[in-house]
Amino acid sequence: MQGLPLRFTSVSKAFAIKGKALPVIDNLSLDCPAGSFTALLGPSGCGKSTLLRLALALESEDSGSLRIGGDSPRSVCRSGAVGVAFQDAALLPWRSVEENIRLPFEVLGRQRPDAGKINGLIELVGLKGFEKARPGELSGGMRQRVAIARSLATEPRVLLMDEPFGALDLILRRQMNLELQRIWSAKRPTTLLITHGIDEAVYLADRVIVLSPRPARVLADIPVSFSRPRSAELLRDPAFHLVCDRIAALLDPETSAASAAAETAALDAAPVAATAKSGTSA
Amino acid sequence: MTRFGDHLATGALILLLLAAWEFAGQLKLVADGTLPPLSEILLRLTAEWREYRPHVAATLYTASLGFLIGNAVALAAAVSFCLWPVAERIFRGVNIAAFTVPPIAIAPVLVIALDGETARITLAALLVYFPTMTAAMAGLQSADPRAVDLIRAYGGGPLRTLWLLRLRSALPSILSGFQVAAPAAVLGAVLAEFGSGARWGLGTFLLGSLGRAEPDRLWGIGLTATAIAGLGYALSAALAARTTSLNRAVNIGVTGPEPGAANEAPVRRALLLAAAILMPLLIWQAMLLWADLSPIIAKTPMGVVDYLITGKTAASAQTRLLAALAETVPITIAGMLLGLGFAFALALLSFAAPLLMRALLPFALVTQTMPLVALTPLAVLIFGRGITVTLVITISVTFFAAFVVLAQGFAMIPKAAFDLVDAYGATTLRKLRLIAIPASRQWLFVAARLALPKALLGVMIAEWLATGKGLGNLLNQSRGYLDYGMIWTVAVVSILLSVLLYQLAPVLEWIGRRDQRDT
Repeated sequence: MQGLPLRFTSVSKAFAIKGKALPVIDNLSLDCPAGSFTALLGPSGCGKSTLLRLALALESEDSGSLRIGGDSPRSVCRSGAVGVAFQDAALLPWRSVEENIRLPFEVLGRQRPDAGKINGLIELVGLKGFEKARPGELSGGMRQRVAIARSLATEPRVLLMDEPFGALDLILRRQMNLELQRIWSAKRPTTLLITHGIDEAVYLADRVIVLSPRPARVLADIPVSFSRPRSAELLRDPAFHLVCDRIAALLDPETSAASAAAETAALDAAPVAATAKSGTSA
Repeated sequence: MTRFGDHLATGALILLLLAAWEFAGQLKLVADGTLPPLSEILLRLTAEWREYRPHVAATLYTASLGFLIGNAVALAAAVSFCLWPVAERIFRGVNIAAFTVPPIAIAPVLVIALDGETARITLAALLVYFPTMTAAMAGLQSADPRAVDLIRAYGGGPLRTLWLLRLRSALPSILSGFQVAAPAAVLGAVLAEFGSGARWGLGTFLLGSLGRAEPDRLWGIGLTATAIAGLGYALSAALAARTTSLNRAVNIGVTGPEPGAANEAPVRRALLLAAAILMPLLIWQAMLLWADLSPIIAKTPMGVVDYLITGKTAASAQTRLLAALAETVPITIAGMLLGLGFAFALALLSFAAPLLMRALLPFALVTQTMPLVALTPLAVLIFGRGITVTLVITISVTFFAAFVVLAQGFAMIPKAAFDLVDAYGATTLRKLRLIAIPASRQWLFVAARLALPKALLGVMIAEWLATGKGLGNLLNQSRGYLDYGMIWTVAVVSILLSVLLYQLAPVLEWIGRRDQRDT
C-alpha cells in the first residue's frame, strides 16, 4: 500500500491560557510527500506535539489547512489509514499484548485481524512468547515495542510518532531505530517522527525539520541524503556527525540565529541540497 | 515478614479488646451493666434467633433492593455526566442535596409521598446513590489520557472510549464506591423502617425493644445490623481486590497539553447555576405530581413557602422552627469540631505510631459499617439523655471520614521534607510541629466539608431518639401531631442547612489558603 502525502499549509494554532491566547504554531507550512520520512526537531514546548495532534484530529487548527492525501485528518483517521505511537506506550493494563495490538481494529469497528497477522507483528518487534503477557509484566522497553506494533497493525499509510523511543535507554533505542528503518523501508508509509535525539533524526529521516521556539515555525529544512539501507556503521561516519553538529548548532539558542542564516545560504549554494529541496516541494 | 507481624499484632489487639469487653461486662463496669458481656449478648442472640429471622430478612430485602437500584441509577448518572458534562452542571444541586441530606429528615417525607415499602427502598437507594456516583465519575474521568487520545486518533468517539476504556478502567473505583454504598444501604433501610411504621425490619425490632431496657437485646440487634453492613462491605471489598490488581497503571504519567481553559460566557454560567438550583425543586414537584397526593399531606415547594412564610400558620411555624434551629445548629458545629479534633488526634497518632494505628483501624472500620441508629439506644443507656450523648453520636459519625482524609494528607507529605529536619536531629514531636501539622491544614478543610453534613445527621438522630430537643425532635413531634407542613419544612430546612454548612467549608478553605500564602 502506498503512503499518503501529508501537507500543512499556513497552519496557526493558539491555546487559551487564563483567558490569554498563547500562540503555539505560527503560520507553519510543511509538505511531506508520499512515502517520505520526516523528522521534527525543536526545543521543548515549541509545539511539535501539537502539530502531531492536529494531524490526528485531536486538536483543530485556528487557521490554515491540513490535508492527508487531500482529505481532512478526521476522515483519514477514521478510515484507519493513520498509525500512531506516543512517547507513552498508552497500553490498556487489563489487556494482553495481543489484545492491545488488536485495539485499533475494535475502535475502527473492523473485523478482527487473523491471529497470524498479530503474531507476525509481535515477532517483528521481538516479543515472541509474550503474546499473552499483560503490560504490567513487561519492561518499559517492551511496552514501547508493543505500542510500535500496535501503530503498525492497521498497515497505516501515514505513521505519526511522538518521541516513541523517548523512554528507552540508548542501546534499546538504537535497536528500535534499526527496526523502524526496516519496517518503514518495507511498507513505505509517510512518516512523521517527533524526537529529541538529533542522531536518531538524522539516522532515520530523509529530511530533518528544525522548529523555532514557541510559536513553532520552520527554522531550517535539512535534507539527509545518506543512502539506504543505513547500517549501524553510519553512526560512526564523520559525515553523519557533521550533519548532527549543524543541527545541534541550530537548536542551541546562542548560535541558532547565526547558523539559521548560514544554513539558508548553504542550502542555496549546495547543489545536492538544492535538488533535495526541489524534490520535496514537487 | 513485617506484614505477618502486623497481622499478628492486629489479631492480638482485637482479642485483647474483646476480652476487655467480656471482662467489663461480667463485672458490670460500664454504666451499671449497660455493657453486657459479649458471651451473654451472643447467647441471647442465638436463643432468640427465630424472633430475629423475619426482621433480618426484611432489612436484607430493603437494603439489597436499595443497593441494586441506587447503584444502577448512580452508574447511569455517572455515565451520562461523563458523556454530557452539561448534565453534571444541571444536576449539581441534586447531587449536593443527595450528599448532604440527613436521611432521618427525609424519611417521614418519603413515607408520606410513597407507600411504605417503596419509601424504604427509596431511602436506601438514595444513600447508595452518592458514594457510587462520585466514585464512578472519578473513575470514568481519570482514565489514562494517552489511551483516550489513542482511541480518538483512530476515530473513536465518546461512546467507544467509554466502552473500550473508561468503564473498564473505572471498575476499581466503582467497586470501592460499592464498599461505601453497601453499609449505607443498610443504614438507609434501618432508618426508613424506623420512621415508616413497618411491621418487620431491624429498625422496627429495635424501636419495639427500646422501652424494655434490656441492653443485651439492644446490643444483639445492633450487632446484627452491623454484621449485615459489614458483610456487604466485605463482599464489595473482595470483589474489588480481584479486579484492582490488573489495573495497576503501567504508564509513566505524561500530561498532554491541557485543553484550553473553558472561557464560559457569564450568561451561560448563570443559566447553568439557576438550573442547578431549580432542578431539585423540579424533581420534588414532579415526584408529588406522579404520586398524585392530596396537597394537605404532600406539600409542594410553594406549599412549604405558604406554610412557613405567607400562610396563617407562618408565625407559629417560624417560632418553633427558629427555637429548634437555635438548639440544633450550635451543637452541630460543636460536634463537628470535636469530631474533627478527634480525627486529627487519631491521624497524628497514626503518624507517630503507625503500628498501633494499623491495629486500631479494623475497629474504626467497624464503627463505619455500624448503622448508627441501631446503636443510638445503647449510647442513651451509657451516656444518658443529656448533651453528652448528642456529642458522642456526632463525633462517632464524623470522625472516620475526616480521619481518612487527614491520614492521607499526612501520607502525601514528601519524605524529603522529613529527611531535612531529620538531618538536624528533630524528634517526632518536633517533626509534627514543624512539618506535619502545617502541611495538613489544607486537608483539614476537605475533612470539614465531609464531616459537616454528617454532623447534622448525628445531631438530629440523637435529638429524635434521645434528647427530645431541636430539629430532630420537632420532626418527631410533627409526625405525632400529623403536622405535615412542619414535616416538609423540617426536611427542606435541614437539607438547606446541610448545604449551607457544606458550602461554608470552601470559604474557610479559601481563607486558610490566603493565610498560608501570606506567611
